[in-house]
Amino acid sequence: MPGEASMSAAIIGAAEANDIGYPQTPKSSLTLHIEAINNVCEMTGIPIRAIDGIFSAGWSPQIAEYLGLHPKYIDTTAVGGCSFEMHVHHALAAIHAGVIDVALVTHGEMGFSQRFTGGKGTGRPFGGGDPWDPGTQHTSAYGLGGAPTSYSHALNRHMARYGTTQEDFAEIAVVTREWATLNPRAVMYRKAGEGDLPPLEKGEWGGGKRGHTFGGPITVDTVMNSRPISWPIKLLDVCLVTDHGGAVLITGPELAKTSKTPPVWIAGAGESISHWNMLEMGEFTKTSASRSAAAAYKMAGMGPEDMEMAMIYDSFTVTAGITAEMLGLAPAGEGFTLWKDRHAAPGGRLPINTNGGGLSFNHSGMYGMQLLVEAYRQLSGTAEDGGFSGDPGKQTSARSCVVNGTGGSLSTTGTLVLVSDD
Amino acid sequence: MAEYTKPIPSPDPVSQPFWDGAKEGKLMLPRCDDCNRVHWYPRVICPFCHSMNIEWVEATGKGTIHTFAVQHNKGLVARGWGDEVPYVSAYIDLAEGDRMLTVLKGVDPNDPESIEIGGAVQIEFEEASEDVHIPFWRPV
Repeated sequence: MPGEASMSAAIIGAAEANDIGYPQTPKSSLTLHIEAINNVCEMTGIPIRAIDGIFSAGWSPQIAEYLGLHPKYIDTTAVGGCSFEMHVHHALAAIHAGVIDVALVTHGEMGFSQRFTGGKGTGRPFGGGDPWDPGTQHTSAYGLGGAPTSYSHALNRHMARYGTTQEDFAEIAVVTREWATLNPRAVMYRKAGEGDLPPLEKGEWGGGKRGHTFGGPITVDTVMNSRPISWPIKLLDVCLVTDHGGAVLITGPELAKTSKTPPVWIAGAGESISHWNMLEMGEFTKTSASRSAAAAYKMAGMGPEDMEMAMIYDSFTVTAGITAEMLGLAPAGEGFTLWKDRHAAPGGRLPINTNGGGLSFNHSGMYGMQLLVEAYRQLSGTAEDGGFSGDPGKQTSARSCVVNGTGGSLSTTGTLVLVSDD
Repeated sequence: MAEYTKPIPSPDPVSQPFWDGAKEGKLMLPRCDDCNRVHWYPRVICPFCHSMNIEWVEATGKGTIHTFAVQHNKGLVARGWGDEVPYVSAYIDLAEGDRMLTVLKGVDPNDPESIEIGGAVQIEFEEASEDVHIPFWRPV
């Protein structure tokens, strides 16, 4: 039997900022937020002034002030890329409890453009972590920095424990790229200079319809031959670094009827954490997604066998592979087979990451919002006519979707079970 | 001593006994006086039973490799380490329990297949500054 909060709120619209991917001109993270908020409010017909709860990964006070709003619920949960799935969980609870009527979950991140602004506009303080923080103090001496330097340890452990190979995980990148070639918004949509596309100018990054130097289809060999980043992780096991802004609105059933766009119901939600610093991870081949998914499935009164598509955070191929196991979509050690056997591919029985994923669509540093936007597009039917962006991208007729964000160093997870209206 | 160019940790009051031991070449670990379990990193409370009776004990300095990776990308690693890529980072299961991050000495980063998960390792300390000697591990 579903939990009490199940279906008590819906995502009634989801939109992105005007420029995502590799914009020609940098925009601040704040501007990316605001563009997406304005777009989702136009899309749904719910005015910005109706928002009475703001949920973001650290930005809520700035967003409220910038918009001149005085919300009744302010949530700044920032625990990595899964924060946005947790925001939906929290918004569901707040709406179910009758505290608020219209929840905004918002994201803006200039992951790409910050390289041209020296970090200005990101909203992040300058300087490193607190030297006394135990996670910093007992790991900083060894130089690990960017996320790939940590995640590689989990991949190596998975290979040792289950006998999986680098080629197995490369299959995930190949199929995910195939999805990106169907999505004109995806950075890796097409290869620049091929067909009717002109070659990129010197210094131009391209992406999407303009093509990318390394865009278009890839093979397992392409992945295996890409340069080593943190063995056994290679360049094409790693997500993109892009700009993104996105926003979703969540309301109860009454207000959902007033939206111009259809509701996608929140049937289940859950969240958990296994550690923050990877030093404390314990079992390197498991994440807390098993717990957050158990909570979400329980609330929904549904199970993995009921899911018709999945949106799984793919910061790295290993993230997606392990998470598929945690969500109960494949047995332990066999997550990659969903991609290798093409169940996850276009036309497969369980489409996964239909936007092209963090690997080939867009990954701004935190990718949880992109998961929500794509799940909404597919389940609401708004991808059919292009939704807000005007780019069509209906990839599946799925009526249910499990969405799982993973944050930190395989540390934190938020899982949602979303279902179409009726 | 040549200048140490890589990051040097900042001991804090909680971890000071560990760093004092390191200066003498000893691995000191926090152990719960109630449940007798060793934990890492150091805390004022036992993460297993939540007792605040923590004592410091000298450990064997023996462990095994839980997992490892080879760092190839200069841009992703900290100041100083960029000059040393490729190098091998690893998580070590301590003989006394719990786990440490380290960099492995005496291994070939260009032949990761030659490094054994589960293989035995021994601790050693490198003098980074007068007050801070950093633990590293090496296969035995």
